[in-house]
Amino acid sequence: MSAMPRQLAWRLFKHEAKRGELSIILFAIILSVASVLSLSLFSERLQGALTDRSAEFIAADRQLSARTPIDPEWVMSAQTFNLATAQQTSTRSMAFANDELALVDLRAVSGDYPLKGTIKLAPELFATGVETTQIPALGEAWIDSRLFQLLGVSLGDSIELGEAQFTITKILSEIPDGGFSVFNADPMVLINLADIDATRVTGPGSRVNYKVYFTGSESDLDDYFDVLSPQLDRQVHRWLSVQDDTSPIGESVARAEQFFLLASLLAIILAAVAIGVAAQRYAQRHFDPVAIMKTLGASTSTIRKVYLYQIGFIALLGIVIGAIVGFVLQQLVVSALAGTVEVSLQIWYWRPLLIAIFTGSVCALLFCLYPLLGLFSIPPLRVLRRDIASSFTSRGGQYLTAGGAILLLMWVYSQNLKISLILFVSGLILVGLLLASTLGLIVLGRILGSGRMGAWQLAWARIKRRSLDNSVQLISFALTIMLLLVVLVMRNDIVQQWRDQLPQGTANYFLTNVTEEQRPSLIQHFSDNGIETDGLFPVSRGRFVKINDEILRHDITKEKEDTTNETRRGMGREANLTWDTQLQMGNEVIAGKWHGDWSLENSDLPPGVYPVSIEERVGERMRIGMGDKLTFNIGSEIVTVEVTSIRTVNWQTMQPNFFFVLHPMAMEAFRASYITSFYLPPERKPELTRLMAPFASVTMFDVDARINQVRSIIEQVSAAIEFILILVLVAGSLVLVAQVQASMDERQRELAILRTLGAKGSMIRASVIYEFLIIGSVAGLMAALANEVSLYLLQTQIFQMQSSLHIEYWLIAPLTGAVVVGLLGATSCWRLLSMNTQVLLSKML
Amino acid sequence: MIKTENLIKTVSTSEGELQILQPTNFSVEEGQSIAIVGSSGSGKSTLLGLLAGLDTASSGEIWLDGAPLHALDEEARAQLRGEKVGFIFQSFMLVPSLTALENIMLPAEITGLSNPKIRALEVLKQVGVAHRAGHYPNQLSGGEQQRVAIARAFITQPKILFADEPTGNLDAKNSDNVESLLFELNKQSNTTLVLVTHDPELALKCDRQLSMNAGVLEEVTV
Repeated sequence: MSAMPRQLAWRLFKHEAKRGELSIILFAIILSVASVLSLSLFSERLQGALTDRSAEFIAADRQLSARTPIDPEWVMSAQTFNLATAQQTSTRSMAFANDELALVDLRAVSGDYPLKGTIKLAPELFATGVETTQIPALGEAWIDSRLFQLLGVSLGDSIELGEAQFTITKILSEIPDGGFSVFNADPMVLINLADIDATRVTGPGSRVNYKVYFTGSESDLDDYFDVLSPQLDRQVHRWLSVQDDTSPIGESVARAEQFFLLASLLAIILAAVAIGVAAQRYAQRHFDPVAIMKTLGASTSTIRKVYLYQIGFIALLGIVIGAIVGFVLQQLVVSALAGTVEVSLQIWYWRPLLIAIFTGSVCALLFCLYPLLGLFSIPPLRVLRRDIASSFTSRGGQYLTAGGAILLLMWVYSQNLKISLILFVSGLILVGLLLASTLGLIVLGRILGSGRMGAWQLAWARIKRRSLDNSVQLISFALTIMLLLVVLVMRNDIVQQWRDQLPQGTANYFLTNVTEEQRPSLIQHFSDNGIETDGLFPVSRGRFVKINDEILRHDITKEKEDTTNETRRGMGREANLTWDTQLQMGNEVIAGKWHGDWSLENSDLPPGVYPVSIEERVGERMRIGMGDKLTFNIGSEIVTVEVTSIRTVNWQTMQPNFFFVLHPMAMEAFRASYITSFYLPPERKPELTRLMAPFASVTMFDVDARINQVRSIIEQVSAAIEFILILVLVAGSLVLVAQVQASMDERQRELAILRTLGAKGSMIRASVIYEFLIIGSVAGLMAALANEVSLYLLQTQIFQMQSSLHIEYWLIAPLTGAVVVGLLGATSCWRLLSMNTQVLLSKML
Repeated sequence: MIKTENLIKTVSTSEGELQILQPTNFSVEEGQSIAIVGSSGSGKSTLLGLLAGLDTASSGEIWLDGAPLHALDEEARAQLRGEKVGFIFQSFMLVPSLTALENIMLPAEITGLSNPKIRALEVLKQVGVAHRAGHYPNQLSGGEQQRVAIARAFITQPKILFADEPTGNLDAKNSDNVESLLFELNKQSNTTLVLVTHDPELALKCDRQLSMNAGVLEEVTV
C-alpha cells in the first residue's frame, strides 16, 4: 500500500511526460533554473573578473595599512594561510638634485610588489606608460615625469632622498595603487624597500605609511583576517578590500553588481509567474483524475502523496535539465563574448548552482502548493456533476501565498530587504491597477460586445465572460512586460549615465598652482592653441584649527594627534578651500541655502563669520552639520565660517570638486592659486611639453590613462549588461509563450464548439487575435505605469541615480504588448484551427 | 444490502432552501438489480451520489452492507467505496494519462489488492479489450472505453455496483454489447446493481424499477 502512491505518481509522471502533458510546468521549472543558473554563474564569473580588475587599484586582494611598522610576524603568518604578500613603505619627503628641491611622494616597495596590476614606465617624459614586471634595483630611483621638470634632471642623474643618493634610471608613469588626488599628490619616486632605511626618512616625527598587500583565495583571506582582526588597533591599522574602493570604477562595479542582482531577481519572478500559471493549469487538468481516484476509494492522504511525488519528479527533472541548459547557455554567452568581455577563467562556481536548485525547488513547491491544495479538495461528487470545481478557491489566499513566496525568494537571494520590498510593492500596485482596469474592461465589454456577433463582438464578449481568468492573465502578462521594461530601462539609464560621466572630450589633464598673474596669459595661450579650459577655480590651503569651540591639535606628537582626531575621521590637518557664488556643475544643495546671494547687508551670521558650503560625506565623517563654525588658519590669518549649506557632489565626473566652498568675501585678503582642467586629444599629446613650457611653475597631472581605464571597464560592464538584458528578455518572452499557451488551452473547448457549429476559421482566428491584442495592449499600458513607479523607487532608493519619466514606453509598451501577445495568440490559434474538428473535440476528453 | 431511512437532501439557492430529495425510504437486497428512472433534473443523480457516499445527505440514514454511511466521514466513506463499491459512468471517467490496463489496475492498487496487474489483465480479457491494454483512453472508441470502465468497476469484486447512464454516450450496437456485458458480469459475481438511466428498455432488464419525479422516489410496478 505504501509504495502505491509513489508507483502511481511515477506512472502518471512517465505517461504525462511522454505525451507532453507536463511540458508547460516542466518547461517553467527548466526556465527558472536555467535562467537563474546562467545569470548567476555568468555574473559570478564576470564579477570575478571585475574584482580582479578592481583589485589592481589596491594592487592586491586585500591591503593592510598602518601608521606604525607592521609586525613581521603577521606577514609570516599570512604565508601559512597560503597568501602571497608584498610590502610598501611610503612617506612624503624632500628630494634634492641640481641644487633644486621638491617635495615628493616616496614609495619603497618589496620585490613582489604589485601583487595585482602592474607598474608602468614611460619611454619618454609624459609618454604613455608601458608595463614592467620589475622594481627599482638597489640604489636606483624611478621618478615621475613632473619631477624631471621640477628638478631639471635627466636619466642617469643623481637624486638625493633623505640621507641616501640614488641614480635615476627610469621614468615612472604609474603604479596600481598610486591613487588619484589633484591636490595632495606630489610627484612620485619609487625605490627598493631595502633602501628605505638608508634614507633615514622614516625616523620619529615623520608621517610614514606602512602597507602589506595580500592575495589568495577568498576563504584563505577571510580566515587570515579572522585571526588577524583581534590584533588590529583600529586607530592605527586599516584593512582594505576591493569592495571598499570608492573610486568611480569601484562605484560602477558596485552599480553593475546591483543590476545583476536585480536582473536575477526579476528572472526568478518571471520563472515563478510561469510556474504559477503552469501549476494552475496542471491542477485544473487533474480535477477529474482526482475525483475518479477519490470515488474509487483513494484517501486524501494517498492523493496528496501521489501529487506531491509527481511534483517532486517534475521538479527534479526540471532542475537537472535546467542546470544543464543554464550551464550550456552561459557557456555559449561567454564564448560569444570572448574578446569583448573578460570573465573569470574559473568556469564553475557552486553558489549559483545551489541558488538555482533552491529557486527551482521553492518555486515548484510554493507555486504549486496552492493549486495543489485546490486539487486535493476536489469532491468525488465531480464524477457525477462535472460543474463542481474545487471548494478551495480563494484567489486572495492564492495571491498571498504566491506573493509571500516571491518576497521570501527575493529576500533570501538578495539579502536586501529594501530592493525586494521595492519590487514587491510596485508589483502589488500593478496588481491593484490591473484588477481595477479589468473591471473597466468588463464594463467596456458590455458595451462593445453587444450587437450582431462578429469577430470583434466575440472577442469582447469573451473578455467580459472570462473576466476573472482574464484578470489573472492580464496580471501575469503585465507583470512579465513590466519586469522586462524595468530591466530594459535600467540598463539604458545605467549605461547612459555611465557614458554621460565620461563623454568624449572629458578633461584628461589637470593644472594646479596657477597664479593670479599667470591666469590671463594661460587662458590666452591655451585658447591660441585651440584648447579650451574648464574654468579656473581659486584654491587655498587652510589648516583646520577649530570646529565650533573644539580645538583640533595636529602638532606636538603624533600620538596626541591621533587621540584628538579619534571622533573626526576622514580629513587631514589641511583642507583645500575654494570660493565662489556659483554652484558648481554636478553639485546639489541638500540642506540649507546656497550662499550665492549672501551679502554682509543681509547676513544673519555673527560679524566676521562668512558662509561655507560643505560636501555631504565629509560632513558626516567629520561630524560637521548645519550651523557649525569652522575655523581655518590660512597663511597667518584666521578665517571663521559657518556651515550654511550641505551639498552632494558627483565625484564620478572628472572635474575639480571641493569639500569646502566659501563665500568669496571670506577670502578677499588672500592670494589664491588656481586649478583647471582641459581636454587634449591623444594625437596632440606630443605638444604637451611645448604647451606647458611658458608655465614651468604650473603643476600638470595626466589623468588620461586613468580615464581610459575607467572607460574600458565601463564599456566591458555595459556589454555584459547588454547580454544579461538579452537573457532576461529571452526568459520573459518564453514566459509569455507559456502564458499564451496555457490560456489557449482554456479557450480550446470554446473554439471546438464554435468550429463544430460551423463558425468560419477566419472569424474565430480574428476574434482570438482581437482578444489577445486587447489584453496585450492593456497589459502593456499597465506595465508602463507600474514600470515608472518601480523605476522611480529603484533609481532613487537603490541605485542612487537621477530618476526621470519614460514617456516613450507609455506608447511602446502597449504597442509591443499588443503585437507580441497578439502574434503569440494567433500562432497558437493557428495550430488549433489547423486540426480537424474531430481531433479538436477528442483533445477535450 | 442498501437501506435508506428518511433520506433528505436540500440545497441553498438564492430563493432559499430547496429540497431536491424528498424523504426517501427504500432498500435493496443483496444481488438484486434496481433501475432508477426519471427525467433530467428529477434528482436521480443526487440519490446516486448519496447512496454511493460521494455526497452527504441533509438528514436521514443510509446503510451500505450494514455500514452507517451517514455517520462516516469523507475518509471512511472513501475506504468503504474502495472495498465494497464499483462505479460506471456515462462519460466513462477514465484517467486520460493512464493506459487501459493501468486504469483498470487503479482501484486494485488503491485498495491494496495483491497482483493488480494480473487481476487487471484477467478482467480486461473478460470484457474483450485485452488487445487494447496499452492504449490511452483517447485512442479507444466509446464502446471500448466503457468496457474498460466496466472492467475497472469489477476488478475489486465489489458488493455493490453503481452505474450512471452507462450507455448514455453509446450508439445502439455498442449499448447492447455493454448492457449484456454489464448484466453478465453482475450475475457472475452476484453484485448488487443500482442503475440510473433514461432508457426504459435498459430499466426493464433490472429486477426492480424505481421512478424519480421532482425528488420523490416511487416503486414502479410493471
